[in-house]
Amino acid sequence: MLLTLDLNDVRPLHEQVAGALRRAIGEGSYQPGDRLPPAREIAGALGINPNTVLRALRGLRDEGLLEFRRGRGVSVTGRADGRALLVQRARELLDEARRYGYGRDDLFRILEELP
Amino acid sequence: MISRLAAAGWVLLVSAVLIATPLAVRERLPDPMATHWTFGLVPDGAATFGEFLVVSMPVWVVTCAALIAAGAYGRGRARRVHRASWWGLLVGVGTLAMGVNLSTLAANLDVPDWRSALLPGWHLAAVLGCAAVAGTVAGYLGRGEPGEPDIPPPAPPRLRLEPGRQTVWVGHARNTTTVMVGLVVLAFFAVLAFLSTLDTDDDVGMYLSFLPAVAVGTLVVLVTMSLTVRVGGDRVVIGFGPFGWPRRRIRLETVESAWAEELRATEVGGWGFRGLPGRATIMVRGGECLVLRYRSGGRLAISVDDAAHGASLVNALIAERVNP
Repeated sequence: MLLTLDLNDVRPLHEQVAGALRRAIGEGSYQPGDRLPPAREIAGALGINPNTVLRALRGLRDEGLLEFRRGRGVSVTGRADGRALLVQRARELLDEARRYGYGRDDLFRILEELP
Repeated sequence: MISRLAAAGWVLLVSAVLIATPLAVRERLPDPMATHWTFGLVPDGAATFGEFLVVSMPVWVVTCAALIAAGAYGRGRARRVHRASWWGLLVGVGTLAMGVNLSTLAANLDVPDWRSALLPGWHLAAVLGCAAVAGTVAGYLGRGEPGEPDIPPPAPPRLRLEPGRQTVWVGHARNTTTVMVGLVVLAFFAVLAFLSTLDTDDDVGMYLSFLPAVAVGTLVVLVTMSLTVRVGGDRVVIGFGPFGWPRRRIRLETVESAWAEELRATEVGGWGFRGLPGRATIMVRGGECLVLRYRSGGRLAISVDDAAHGASLVNALIAERVNP
């Protein structure tokens, strides 16, 4: 799974990891029933503590996206929650807008102009 | 076309020899005739002429059927190593079948009773040697042109990396069958350990002599039951088994490009760690594989899920870091 972290993001790390995992699952590289790579490996790849990854995974389990099974690891149960994914995309859109000098209200206006 | 005619001709020739030679010398054979010999080359098994005719055919028939099926439906014919092994097996097994047949007949020729049909020692060496030489020569002659698949797909997948972001890829693959085998081996191991605590019978001691083999088997299963591949920073890291150990690190500097490819165990030579020259493969299950092409020319295929994303990240990191 492809995981991207924004190095300038100020949110807690476990939230960022949860966001990256949610996006990877939402983009369809993992189907319901597929097993995720071990948390230790995800942590190793990102260079962070495995407990942070576990905390992110638990959050996604509570969201209903993942399922924990003893001895079988963590697997995907459903498609990513539409709203959670949209909130995340909106946050990224807002960040990008700010980089170009646009604010929240400018984004509202752009959205209203769309057909 | 010529190669097909040659193959068909060879199949007919071997079949004809297997059937016609016994019939031609039938009058000079004892009935029953000797068909099996001990290591001391003394006959210890016999069969009637009809049984001999029927029993001498199956190995050859099964080999032909398997090779025809592989030739018609297999995807490996584009590869040189497959063509070479196809021809090698066809001619090698054919020669072996004919050799066994002729040597059996020669030993039985003009003897009064099957028990006096001694097998000359050089027959065994000659039959095996001829089969090995014929198979090797046929494999060399039938190897054909170098295979195409070494050339990567036209556009290796790419990914756009954004500044200020850290992108990594983690892929995982596991073989459920291997896991089951591993559990059975471990259960066997546990039962042995339990039995050895119950009594000190000789039987248990005999079973315990298998312990080293069981331990090695457990280790092999642990290492090959699953693997994880990480791409990030300046390297690709492959971790074997549930503990991610041992690890193999490949620096991206040594990699030219990467792509995803569907490979089956029959195409790479089986499961596990395969090392055909320049075409190494780490396969815990068939299907999607991440293929790395080294700058030095060889390639390494690793069976892993979601390989296309992994390949696109490898290519992006190479483009960014190695050729800035």
